Amino acid sequence: MYGNLVDALPSVLGWANMAAVVVGVLAGICVGALPGLSATMAISVLIPFTFGLDPLVALGMMAGIYNGAMYGGAIPAVLLRIPGTPAAVATSFDGYPMAQSGRGGYALQVAVVSSAIGGIVSAIVLMLLAPPLAKVTLLFGPAEIFWVAVFGLSSIVFLLGGDPLKGLISAAFGVTVSLIGSDTITGYDRLTFGHLELLDGINIVVLLVGLYALPPAMDLLEDPSFDGTGKRFTLGTGSIWKALPSMLRFWKTWVRSSFIGVLVGILPGAGGSMAAFLSYNEARRASKNPDDWGKGEPEGVAAAETANNADTASAMIPALTLGIPGTSVAAVMLGGLLIHGLQPGPLLFRDNPDLVFGFMWQFLFAAILLVFLGGSLATNSFAQVLRIPRPLLGAIIIALVFIGVYSINGRMFDVYLTLGFGLVGYFMDKLRFPLPPVVLGLILGSFAEENLRLALRIGRGDPSALWQNTTSQVIIAITFAVVVGPIILRLVRSKKAGKVV
Amino acid sequence: MKNPVGSRILQADNIAGLVIVACSAWLLTETRDMPPMSALLPVAMLCAMALMGVILIARTILNPQTASAGPVFVAPRRFLLVVFVIAAYAFGVATLGFYTSTTIMVPAVAFCFGYRKPLGLAIATIIFVGGIALIFMVLMNQELPPEFFAS
Repeated sequence: MYGNLVDALPSVLGWANMAAVVVGVLAGICVGALPGLSATMAISVLIPFTFGLDPLVALGMMAGIYNGAMYGGAIPAVLLRIPGTPAAVATSFDGYPMAQSGRGGYALQVAVVSSAIGGIVSAIVLMLLAPPLAKVTLLFGPAEIFWVAVFGLSSIVFLLGGDPLKGLISAAFGVTVSLIGSDTITGYDRLTFGHLELLDGINIVVLLVGLYALPPAMDLLEDPSFDGTGKRFTLGTGSIWKALPSMLRFWKTWVRSSFIGVLVGILPGAGGSMAAFLSYNEARRASKNPDDWGKGEPEGVAAAETANNADTASAMIPALTLGIPGTSVAAVMLGGLLIHGLQPGPLLFRDNPDLVFGFMWQFLFAAILLVFLGGSLATNSFAQVLRIPRPLLGAIIIALVFIGVYSINGRMFDVYLTLGFGLVGYFMDKLRFPLPPVVLGLILGSFAEENLRLALRIGRGDPSALWQNTTSQVIIAITFAVVVGPIILRLVRSKKAGKVV
Repeated sequence: MKNPVGSRILQADNIAGLVIVACSAWLLTETRDMPPMSALLPVAMLCAMALMGVILIARTILNPQTASAGPVFVAPRRFLLVVFVIAAYAFGVATLGFYTSTTIMVPAVAFCFGYRKPLGLAIATIIFVGGIALIFMVLMNQELPPEFFAS
């Protein structure tokens, strides 16, 4: 098996393959940086153009785009609090405050280095552990996946800090939004109000852009403090190589987040957003200064970016070995493989080892290239966006919001929905309702429901089927600890404070 | 919205709680005809939201210190103007087309909200609209709302 891995290397090092990876990474960064344009969309657009290309060249371009886009999403998340991709939401929590305090350049450098590390770890895991790791997914049936979703939601509500009641309301709102559309099992149209556009549910980008992009744009225009002189932000950019030693203190976060990202990537349906959120929460929990998180803690950027890139190659593990795409990008990539006559599944490793292992090498090279291509692009080009005068920037963001949302389905209905979510997001922000639980609720809501129903069906309607399995019990115990832990800690702290007084 | 008269009732959190309860109750009426299996989670979530809305209101009335600090609006008139601008732009994009509306909106909004350098506005608009056209029309072949003169 590993002999094939070494054999595949020379063909990957050909100039055409390497050029494809370079072009893919650059294109991916640009696409990821544009809100509304996802890696899935870029690869979908690209696939028809790869018909005439050598399969390995086409796969290299796809691997480059995937890695590049996952980092590219961090650029507007840090600079504008607009997540370029759904997986970059958690990056904005600390990245944006860093940019506001004149450390935007450093935040991007942390993001690019962490993305590269996550991507490299993920590619190595894909190379070395693809077949055995794929077996892990066999442990996760519908009941376990349901509990993983519950764990994800609980952790974001209770570990994010702030007001748990408002966090729960946000999460319930997100789950409710996720249920809009045609019920996949009964076919009943839920909460669609007769709008055909809602039958497929609400696209996550519509909600994300509404909640995360419009409120800051409105704030930029609403704030009367702009004096018309085009006041400039301080970027705080410097050489990435000089900044690198100061980032070594994040090594524990890199290791933990890579591990989380890889595991979440292997789970079908979870995706980079969940990896980033879980990783952010875990890193915050382990931090010595959790109260500084959300105010510009670079470790938060490192945690989120490492995990969402560690998810990339590992999401291909079930896709390549079992033919089950873990994410929408992986699904599109499977389409790309099929177009080139490659049938994903265990036989792929036997029949086309040069291609499948070459593809894995390309993932590794794309991750390494991120530091060189992403580092210079981020610090020298994209970071300049903060120099734009605030009213002009506000107007440009509004136009970008419209483009990003309209281009998903080519209809104004989504734009109107985004404007509605924008107003909701504006008021939620002002009233201190946390936004991340809404997003995670949307990601996990229908996913949890689907698996809950499947588990109940398998158990013939017996709810105990949800907790009979050991894996389920372990996840339930962890969820319970996450919910009860902060409450106990708070009680202990208040008791201690009472004693001191 | 920040409790201008010192009333516990007019706290922003109370108004938010009322909106949550009202919206949840209204959406619950939409679940009446759903098959039980389809209605399970929506009803559970909406009931939970309504209940939490009530708790939010009760908590704010009984313990006002837990209410959101700080004003909701920095400048209410500017907020209304922003909402009007966005709504007008949406209407413009749907009727005049994306590029026409954006060419008008970007300099007009920036000018209205304080950036008043004609040369800077002109250059920024050309670069932005031109860049978008290059990416979406030439490179991505992605269609945006059509222009009124092209349809």
